[in-house]
Amino acid sequence: MTVTRVLEPWMMEPLERFVSEADARLTLIMTPAGQVLAQYGFTRAVDVMSAAALGAAIASSTQEMAGLLGERNFKALNHQGVRHGIFLAEMENPRGRLLALVVYGPETLAGLVQLFFEELARDLEQACPNVKPTEPVLSADFERELNNSLASLFGR
Amino acid sequence: MSLVNFTTREITCKIVYYGPGRSGKTCNLRYIYGKVPEERRGKMVSLATEAERTLFFDFLPLELGTISGFATRFQLYTVPGQVYYNATRKLVLQGADGVVFVADSQARQLDENIESLQNLQANLIDQEVDIRTLPLVLQYNKQDLPADLILSPHELDEALNFRELKSFAANALKGNGVFETLKGVSELVLRKLSEETPV
Repeated sequence: MTVTRVLEPWMMEPLERFVSEADARLTLIMTPAGQVLAQYGFTRAVDVMSAAALGAAIASSTQEMAGLLGERNFKALNHQGVRHGIFLAEMENPRGRLLALVVYGPETLAGLVQLFFEELARDLEQACPNVKPTEPVLSADFERELNNSLASLFGR
Repeated sequence: MSLVNFTTREITCKIVYYGPGRSGKTCNLRYIYGKVPEERRGKMVSLATEAERTLFFDFLPLELGTISGFATRFQLYTVPGQVYYNATRKLVLQGADGVVFVADSQARQLDENIESLQNLQANLIDQEVDIRTLPLVLQYNKQDLPADLILSPHELDEALNFRELKSFAANALKGNGVFETLKGVSELVLRKLSEETPV
């Protein structure tokens, strides 16, 4: 089953619409540091993190290259393979600069992905609420659980 | 900064292993990768040169488990240590929640350690991050080498650890001190997260 997950509910509808219209196989929306805000199509969380880290690295290095060439930025990047293509682009959002990494197949076209990406960026900008939610996170005695988690991670 | 998903109750933190070339940053990640059960880690991604020197970064995602009801994940990165890769080092450092500074304990590498620590500070300032508020631990790696070649943890503390940060003696190749270092930085990162959003 294909999984769609979002950090905050307002991202869900624009992402689902984009995936459906662009016929994307996988999509990640993330911060420039590679933290995933929304995802479609990945099953393992650790695979998502790897894809996001690589996507963010490509975007960051491309931006640095743009700087060296005196360009403000290269907004989108597209690689087409035989079975898959990847589309990586940035968008402005009230939450700051965001990146989208889209994996698509021969059932769609790079142009369509780009077209619907622009719509996605607009939809996310409009859907974004002004106030960022803040809730308590960790209990004061989290160390014991952390120690147990790390110990089991290392088989101790 | 740490990413907290309240809907799915997940926390994701980015930890960067920083330090001079050949100090053992990648070695730390390789050891962790080898020790952690497969279902709790992703693939280790290494963007390296043909000679296996880190070109951009190494990356290892870990599933820590549930802490305070949140599924907690760590993203471990290394930076390239070589001086001329500073541009990529800066990129990897973006958004780091915590840093492990891996120092090479060999006496002849002391200047490189100091230079790299200064470079860390400069790159953080560039990103408007105050090194005094960033969770940071020091690891003194290669403590297994003959005593006449290396500085002791106490000597390295004197030379590098002005802020009395937590420091760990290590032999990352064999894994000594690797777990303790990760635990040390994890505690600081989660403590900061806990203080930023008080219960």
